[in-house]
Amino acid sequence: MGLFDKLAGWLGLKKKEVNVLCLGLDNSGKTTIINQLKPSNAQTQDIVPTIGFSIEKFKTSSLSFTVFDMSGQGRYRNLWEHYYKEGQAIIFVIDSGDKLRMVVAKEELDTLLNHPDIKHRRIPILFFANKMDLRDALSSVKVSQLLCLENIKDKPWHICASDALKGEGLQEGNKFSSCLALFHIEMHLGIIGRIIVVKLALVVK
Amino acid sequence: YRAAIETEKRICGLVATDSCTRWLDAHYDPVANLYTFSSCIGNGDSLVVGDLGTGACNIKLKVYKGTSLVSENTLLDLPTGLVSFHMDQHEPRTPAIAVASGPFIYVYKNLRPYFKFTLPPLEVNPLEQEVWTQAKEVRRERYGPHLHTSCSRRFSFPLGRFLMLDPQEMETYVNLHKQQPLRRQTVITCISTLKKNMAEEDAVSCLVIGAESKDIYVLDPEAFTVLSKMSLPSVPTLIDVTGQFDVEFRITVACRNGNIYILRRDSPKPKYCIELTSHPVGLVRIGKNVVVGCAQETLLSYTQKGKKLWTVYLPAPVMTMGLMDHHTRGFQAVLVGLSNCQVQLYRDKNLLNIVKTPDVVTSICFGRFGREDGSLIMTTKGGGLIVKILKRTAVFDDRDTAPGPPLAQSIRLNVPKKTKLYVDQTMRERENAVAMHRAFQMDLSRLRLASARAYVKALESSLTPMSASLSEPLKMNAVVQGLGPSFKLTLNVQNTAACRPVMNLAVSFLYDEALYSMRPSFFKIPLLVPGLNYPIDAFVECLVDKGISDIIKVFVLQQGKSAPLLTAHINMPVSEGLPLN
Ligand SMILES: Nc1nc2c(ncn2[C@@H]2O[C@H](COP(=O)(O)OP(=O)(O)OP(=O)(O)O)[C@@H](O)[C@H]2O)c(=O)[nH]1
Ligand SMILES: [Mg+2]
Repeated sequence: MGLFDKLAGWLGLKKKEVNVLCLGLDNSGKTTIINQLKPSNAQTQDIVPTIGFSIEKFKTSSLSFTVFDMSGQGRYRNLWEHYYKEGQAIIFVIDSGDKLRMVVAKEELDTLLNHPDIKHRRIPILFFANKMDLRDALSSVKVSQLLCLENIKDKPWHICASDALKGEGLQEGNKFSSCLALFHIEMHLGIIGRIIVVKLALVVK
Repeated sequence: YRAAIETEKRICGLVATDSCTRWLDAHYDPVANLYTFSSCIGNGDSLVVGDLGTGACNIKLKVYKGTSLVSENTLLDLPTGLVSFHMDQHEPRTPAIAVASGPFIYVYKNLRPYFKFTLPPLEVNPLEQEVWTQAKEVRRERYGPHLHTSCSRRFSFPLGRFLMLDPQEMETYVNLHKQQPLRRQTVITCISTLKKNMAEEDAVSCLVIGAESKDIYVLDPEAFTVLSKMSLPSVPTLIDVTGQFDVEFRITVACRNGNIYILRRDSPKPKYCIELTSHPVGLVRIGKNVVVGCAQETLLSYTQKGKKLWTVYLPAPVMTMGLMDHHTRGFQAVLVGLSNCQVQLYRDKNLLNIVKTPDVVTSICFGRFGREDGSLIMTTKGGGLIVKILKRTAVFDDRDTAPGPPLAQSIRLNVPKKTKLYVDQTMRERENAVAMHRAFQMDLSRLRLASARAYVKALESSLTPMSASLSEPLKMNAVVQGLGPSFKLTLNVQNTAACRPVMNLAVSFLYDEALYSMRPSFFKIPLLVPGLNYPIDAFVECLVDKGISDIIKVFVLQQGKSAPLLTAHINMPVSEGLPLN
């Protein structure tokens, strides 16, 4: 039993349901990443562009995730905002090889951050600078610069480079999983924060 | 017109300020080294550019994927047009690229050279043929002039060069080229595509080419045979094609003579002609109408039958034009690149948006680039490449910003009813218009005759205050001062010659001696320096107090001439004072 599971158990968060939104432009690799998160026997071989959105559920020992894999195509992007309310965490995937559309990714991210359902919430965001295997891919540092991530002050966020095709990091236990671990911490902190507030409220009573 | 431009400027300001957020700046490379025009640029999965290079070097076919240059192919000659088209039904449906250059069309498949097509040669004038066969022995003098009059067009190769050579060079030239048969080759000036018989986006298309020989050719997509040939009165420069070859089609061409011709299936000659007042710079078809950018800073729209719909006055000369066709949003508008570093967007005659660019834009292309449908690709005069992406949320409101008639114009004025007199007069004018016009013209002619006669008479008798003589150009005017009976008469005499002084002049007065006395009544004038005004005073005494006045005539005379140089008639005022004694 890992530390977080213990922590989660201690906090009474066992099998807590967490809704995760997976957002990003079309072709950035959202579905591929989610596919890699699934146990190997549940993974699919051929990944096609998502139409509308699809829902995936999977569990770690402490949490049960419901992932909304949204389509990134222009005509479906207006669906995203309808799920902001339910979302408790966001995975934002960027194709680091697509320099031309980095502005579009930034534009969509800014729209997301300024949405009334997101703006005032401390919702954790995990950025994947995906397709790092491409020869002319931008580094995760460059991506975070281009997206002006340093301006996100009121939300916990983290960016890591990824190669969703090889699932780089997942098996070897490096970046990819540590990112996920960090992501867990952020989510727990979010929840802990809320619990503490509740407890304080009780004390005051 | 001025007012229209002013309003335009004001509106431009307005539109620009609230709209700069509609485009995302995806890419700008000021030193991309791309020198091209809208006709030589194609978009899709990748951006294909026929680069004109600088001077005669670096003429290349360049391919961009995203922001990076992925391939370069050297072209032998300047490209005049570039289109992408599907030449067959093969899967996967990747389009081929056709580049027109000189008399050739180079076809590329998967960015690799695939096929080269050469325009069929033109017929050689039989007279030219005769001259060339004899050229080895015969000198140019015998045939040259004769030939020049009989074939007004260009000469065939190699005869044309031969005729321009000096006699001593001719022999070497003939020896060098005598094996070659005469040929007359035209070059391609513009290129476009025409769907064969299906309307789908990826349907097989014919190439449509305009040539310097004033012809339009439609080529078969697979065999590259000429399916159809049409002739124009002038050389086509811009071309737009719509429809399907086997069903019905329409070819709109702007020509070098400043006209636009509209050709249709089943007619080898133009069906309609639009005569523009200035030369066309850009041609874009929107639905069934064409929008033309003209050299006179105007944007004009015509129906497919050549009827004019509207005119918009632009703030600067047009550099290039492009169609903004956003399929997924069903939005169509015209992009106009201006020399003031602006790209303006017009839907009908309404200015919707202004894109400001760091340099003057020379080519515009809107559409899909990679995964982005709303990409605006532009190259600049300085060789830069700009890519902008239309925001997903951008909307262009159709508010009518056209600088049309002012609002006050539609307010009804309280015009009084027409009076009977007015109506009668109008009727009379309407019925007798011809007679009235004739009477007026007759009177006008008479008036002109009378004034001409009077003028001639005045000149002949030197009755004018201006001397008509060329050797003594003089000017004089006179002023009378005083109430009477003593008056002072001041004559202002001026020599109007450029530099020659006038000498030996005298002034004499002629008057009724019963009425006036003058001292002196004759005197000499000193030498008159050119340009200066000489005031000469003379004193007049009125001798009667009966309240009558008369004319005093002033003559400027020259020694040895009986006719005066100048004459002035002075109307003396009535003497109002009394003699002193
Ligand atoms: N080279 C490389 N290719 C990747 C990587 N991740 C995904 N891809 C490829 O990118 C393409 C798009 O992947 P998807 O997962 O369908 O992208 P998506 O974000 O779900 O796209 P939509 O569903 O249309 O929004 C697929 O062909 C993947 O194989 C990566 O890390 N490296
Ligand atoms: Mg997907």
